[in-house]
Amino acid sequence: MNKSEYLALLHSHLSDLPPEERNELMEDYQAHFAFALQNGRSEADVIQELGHPAELAKEALGNRLPQEPIYWFGPGSPSSNHVPDPGPVPPVTPVTPHRGSFATAMVYTGLFFVDIIIGPLLLTLWSLWFALAAMAVGGLVSPFALGLEYLWYGELYQAKAFAVLALVGIGILLAIVSKRTFKDIKNLTLSFWAWHTRTVRGEQQYE
Amino acid sequence: MDISIQFKKGALELCVLVLIHERDRYGYELAQSVSEHIEVAEGALYPLLRRLVIEGYCTTYLQESTGGPPRKYYKLTPAGEIHMNKLVIEWKQFVRNVSTLIEKGTSSDE
Repeated sequence: MNKSEYLALLHSHLSDLPPEERNELMEDYQAHFAFALQNGRSEADVIQELGHPAELAKEALGNRLPQEPIYWFGPGSPSSNHVPDPGPVPPVTPVTPHRGSFATAMVYTGLFFVDIIIGPLLLTLWSLWFALAAMAVGGLVSPFALGLEYLWYGELYQAKAFAVLALVGIGILLAIVSKRTFKDIKNLTLSFWAWHTRTVRGEQQYE
Repeated sequence: MDISIQFKKGALELCVLVLIHERDRYGYELAQSVSEHIEVAEGALYPLLRRLVIEGYCTTYLQESTGGPPRKYYKLTPAGEIHMNKLVIEWKQFVRNVSTLIEKGTSSDE
């Protein structure tokens, strides 16, 4: 590649630029060649030092490409070309704010009232769940109870056998229900607890 | 290799501003002065210089030269000087922070 080939290649790579901008850059590169040759450099050396036209074009286009589309027309005020300076990055402050004693007292008071409502509510939910689970277990173990009774007294009532069938069915259904509700109540309790500790510590972020 | 190119590109603006601050220079002269210190694609200078002019950090003027095209000189504006000082401070802080980090990281290896 010689000087004119290089410049032609560069010219074509810069074709996305507005014409006056491209011409200005081309003049710069032509002048660069002229000065370098004047100083006794070879064309090949200069081409080597300048870098590949595609890279230079990326450099020239990169100054504007991400911010706005390139228009070949229109006034295009020069100041709109550059990115506004983002300014210094604000220092990262630790997220735990230190509350005053008054605020702390108010938070604890508020939490106390919340707790005396939510606490018993959760307890009620848990006892309801426990009742459900106990019923499920009772239904499921009823065949064994019947078996024990048979072993002990040596006689089997048909009515009881049918009752056991029904009880096992109910037990299975209740077991499924209690398994699901266990998850829900557990999540509810855990998230309430997490919120509680967060509020006590006064942190902003979620765990 | 690739990373070092990114470093150089980042430093190029600062180097150019400092060189122009030292005295008014024309494009080819700048290319020579920069590549004395860092190895960089000299062609990248011209888009950079154009941007500096657009952003108001530099102005240009032409001066005739003997036996060649006129030289386009770049001159730092007051805004350019402020910008340069800001960049110098940021650069020094950055270098110091990275050096501290490297020292800490490599000394704890042993």
